[in-house]
Parts: sequence; C-alpha cells; structure tokens
Amino acid sequence: MDLATFGAILRFAMDLEGKAEAFYREAGFAEATAAAAKRLRLLEQARREGVAEMILEPITGLDAAAYAAHLEKAADVSQFEGACARFYKDAAAKLPIREVVRLFQRLALEHEPAEAQPGNRQGASRRTEGG
Amino acid sequence: MAETLKNYVGGKWTASGSKRTLDVHNPASGEAIGRVPLSTAGEVRSAVAAAKAAFPEWRETPPLVRSRYMFRLKALLEEHFEDLARTVTLEHGKIIDEARGEVRRAIENVEVAAGVPSLMMGYNAEDIAVGIDEDCVFQPIGVFACVAPFNFPAMVPFWFLPYAVACGDSYIVKPSEVCPTSQNRLFELLEEADFPPGVVNLVNGDKEAVDALLTDPDVAGVSFVGSTPVGKYIYATAAAHGKRAQCQAGAKNCLVVMPDANLDRTVAAILTSAFGTAGQRCLAGSLVVAVGDAYTPLRDKLVAAASALKVGDGLDESVQMGPVVTRKSLDRILGYVESGVKEGAKLLLDGRKVKVDGHPNGYFIGPTIFDGVRPDMTIAKEEIFGPVLGIARAKDFPEALSIIDGLPFGNAASLFTQSGKWAREFKYRVPCGNVGINVGIAAPIASFPFAGMRNSFFGDLHGQGRDAIQFFTDRKVVISRWF
Repeated sequence: MDLATFGAILRFAMDLEGKAEAFYREAGFAEATAAAAKRLRLLEQARREGVAEMILEPITGLDAAAYAAHLEKAADVSQFEGACARFYKDAAAKLPIREVVRLFQRLALEHEPAEAQPGNRQGASRRTEGG
Repeated sequence: MAETLKNYVGGKWTASGSKRTLDVHNPASGEAIGRVPLSTAGEVRSAVAAAKAAFPEWRETPPLVRSRYMFRLKALLEEHFEDLARTVTLEHGKIIDEARGEVRRAIENVEVAAGVPSLMMGYNAEDIAVGIDEDCVFQPIGVFACVAPFNFPAMVPFWFLPYAVACGDSYIVKPSEVCPTSQNRLFELLEEADFPPGVVNLVNGDKEAVDALLTDPDVAGVSFVGSTPVGKYIYATAAAHGKRAQCQAGAKNCLVVMPDANLDRTVAAILTSAFGTAGQRCLAGSLVVAVGDAYTPLRDKLVAAASALKVGDGLDESVQMGPVVTRKSLDRILGYVESGVKEGAKLLLDGRKVKVDGHPNGYFIGPTIFDGVRPDMTIAKEEIFGPVLGIARAKDFPEALSIIDGLPFGNAASLFTQSGKWAREFKYRVPCGNVGINVGIAAPIASFPFAGMRNSFFGDLHGQGRDAIQFFTDRKVVISRWF
C-alpha cells in the first residue's frame, strides 16, 4: 500500500508501535513496552498537532510493503526493529512538517540496533533487556 | 431511523417543534446519517432571549475566568480530537487528514481566544489636557450569531465563537443544514466545559432561522461564511437592522506560475489547493495561470500528478480526495464541466469517469483539468466549488495579474516563483485578502485575520485574531478629571 498521505504514514507508524508494545508486553520486557507506548503517544500527538492544512501535499515513494516485518517471537525482534528504523528514516525525508520530521528521526534512532548507535542508552538497554 | 438533531438553548438540549426537517447524508455512501430540524423563527427568538439573559452576568465574569473556560474547552477538544475529525469526514466527505486539519484550526482559535485577558486590554494617556486623562476600554456588546457554511462544519463557527465568548458576549451558532452534526458534537463539548446557560447556543435551521437572527433587535452582530449572493443579502439585511456584520463570500482563486518556479514543489502545492477538500474551499485554487514557458511542463506534470490521486471514502487513510458534499453539488459541478466543454476548453483530465469500488452511491467526481481556459469562459469566471481546475496562459506577469484583476472576487491568489521581485510585485498589487507566495492554500492561522476583498467579503473587521476581538467589542473612551 502506498503511504501517500500524512495520515496514512502516521497510521502505519502507530500500527508498528502498537505491534511492538503488544509483543514486548507479552514477552515481559517492561522497559521496551513503556518505550513503545511512549512512542505511540508521541505519534498520536503528532497526528493531532502536526497536521497543517496548507501543506497537506501528496507524498510519493513510500510503500508500506517495504517495511513489512513480523514480530511474533524473539528471533523477529532484530528484523522488526530494523524495518522500523528504516521506515522512520525514509518517512522523515518525505514529511513536510519539521516537528514531525524531528520526531521520526528520533524514533528511527530508537529503533536502530544498539551497535549502530554508540552511546544511545535506550536502544542499548532495550537490546540488553531483550536478550 | 436516523436521529433528529436537537437545538442547544439556555444550557438545555431541546427538540425543535418544527415540522420541517432535512436528511443529513454521508457523501461517500449517500446514506442518511441523521436528520436536522429547520427551526422556527420562534425557536430562534427563544435562543436570542436565552443569550440575552446570560449576557449581563457573563460580561461581569473576569476575562481571566472566561479564559479558563477556553482552556477547559481546548482540553476537551484535544481529548475528542479524532472523534471530531471522523464526524467531519462522515458528514462532509473530506479526507480524514483534512478533517484533522480543520479540527486543529478550530482548536487554534480557542488557544488564541484564551489570551483574552491581554487581547482585550485597552489603552490610556495621561494629561491629554492639563489634569485630564483619557482611557479607552474594550467592552463586550451582547448577543452575536454566526451563519456557518457546509465546507468547514467544525472550524468556521470557531473563527468567531471563542472570541465572542472570551470577550464576554453570548453566542448563537446556526450551523449549515447540510453538515450540522459536527457543531452538534462540539456543543456537547461546550456543554461539558460548563459554560453558564445561555452563553453558547445552537439553533439548527435554514433561511427562516437566519432571517429571524438578522431581524431580531437583540442580536448585535452576525458573522457569515458562504456564497456571494447570500453574503450580500446577509450584509444588507443585518445593516438595515442596525447590526454589525462580517460576511465572507465566494471566490475564484488564481494560482500564477512563473517560468522560474520550482515545478515539482509547485505541482504538489497546486494539487492540494485545487483538489483538497474536493475543491470545496473558499481558498481553493481553481485557475492556474501559466506564464510564458512555464506552460507546457506545468500542464504535463499537473495532469500526470492529478491522474494519480486516489479518490474514495475519506475515512480510508490512503485516500487523497473524497467525494463532494451532496448530490446537488455533484450535479452543479458536472454542469460546469459540461459548460467548459461547450465553451471550447480542452478537457485534459475527466473526473466524471471516476468510479469508487464499494461506494456506488457516493457523490464522487475525480480531479478534472481543463486546458485552454480563457478569461471569458464560465469556468474561468464563476466559483465552481468542486475539483475542477482550469489552466490559462499568460505571456508575462502583467497579463497574469490582469486576469486576476478582471475577476469580481478577491479572496485568495498565489504566485509560484523563485524571484523576490515578482513575489514583491504580486503581494503588493494583487487585489486579494489572502496571498500565497509558493503556498497554494493561503490560510491565515488563528492569530491573523481571515477574509477576502471585493465580492469575496462584505464588512470591515475580519474573522480570527485581533480583528475578532474588535468585532466583538466596543471601544469606550473615558475622559476624566478630578477637582
């Protein structure tokens, strides 16, 4: 599915975080669950506050299929997180609203594997916690 | 059976006794989703009486306290944001992103109005003569009302209501009878914010209700957004009855593209301007004026990009353009397409061919683009209020400007260029109230005034921002000396 609107991109991001929150909660990873829940809240806030009528222009070149990833078992985590990081990074380059771009860039970092983000405590701790 | 909406008068929801009702439809499906009563003149008089009774105590409520009501209202609007946006899409058809943008702008107006303790401050000077001081204070006036359009059913009344109420006036909203549900939902939140009974009132209806508001001696002023003929009528009738009026009316907005414009960014901006909200915006660009060499590449890119827009149910996040609001609107727009063809414009993209799977009864028309539009054609002169974009050519900047000058409207115009010189000339000369430079929808944010010029606006003080504070107050001058 083409992610061709601001709302479609935010919806996709919220679905990713919803999936992450549900998985980490089920797996008993409290810190990762809380982080996903916080990201979900931030995305919901961005969808509410970041929408600017005068620049709701069509967005091209972002396909949800490129970021499809399962998250059903521990072995899926790395691939899922990588897909999230890629999605946020690619989407940030397409969005017209600076605050939302900043949020997406931050969320891309949070989802990047710990080894790719030296000094990022949150990513590192999640990976440690996730085993 | 569809539920019949109620009026909200004097702090109570009351069923209208009117025998006249209209169905409210979901434009994406054609299904009836509600029914609106067309209230009687007597019911309007009751609302005015309730608002008048509430005014004395409300005006004595300190501005800081009135401002806290705004904060409460904002919190409720944020809490119910998504539900409000979905309500807008359900009754209007615009895509959910556009509905969110609309609700956002409504909230922004509440945020700005919450600054009323500062916004309403007067000014003074000592010693205007020996030992004499002069003060100017802003005072609320009484009962105000708005007559709202269908195209922004949540937002437009909020260009006015928050400022009026924050200033200490009491208020009556007469929502569009085509899209009344959003205001109904918003009034549930106003009720939850616990405004004193009579401070805010909702009366559903049509011309009978409007005339009752316009002629009632206890209504101090009226705000209107809609078509030019109705705007003129409301302005004249309100003035004849001694009222203030601000009437925002029709538009025919031009988007001028210079040869040096960044075409990819320009095309994206034009698409949003012309086809956003299915062209049912007073700020919608409906005539592209391609200057010189801009013409061929612009035309080709526009048609390619517009052809790719996904049309469908606005609640589907992947959809980029929804239906138009009613069957009647659709028929009117189709009539304009016919007229364009008959008058010799070349139909480059025919939106009449659009079919939306699963929505056989929706009021859909796809993006439609005419080339070879001349200023004398009907589609170049009249407001279509649908997703129909004309392309006209101009040999140079002065000719482009003359096309805008030749129109009777003056709501908005945009210029796309990399040249500061042309941008400066454009914003200086163009006879429109809202001017975009590389912006396709020149929509003022809440702290700025919003209105057009020429036949797009009747009145002087505009909606929103500081103009709204002035519209809803009188300036009283006190000159004092003490012996």
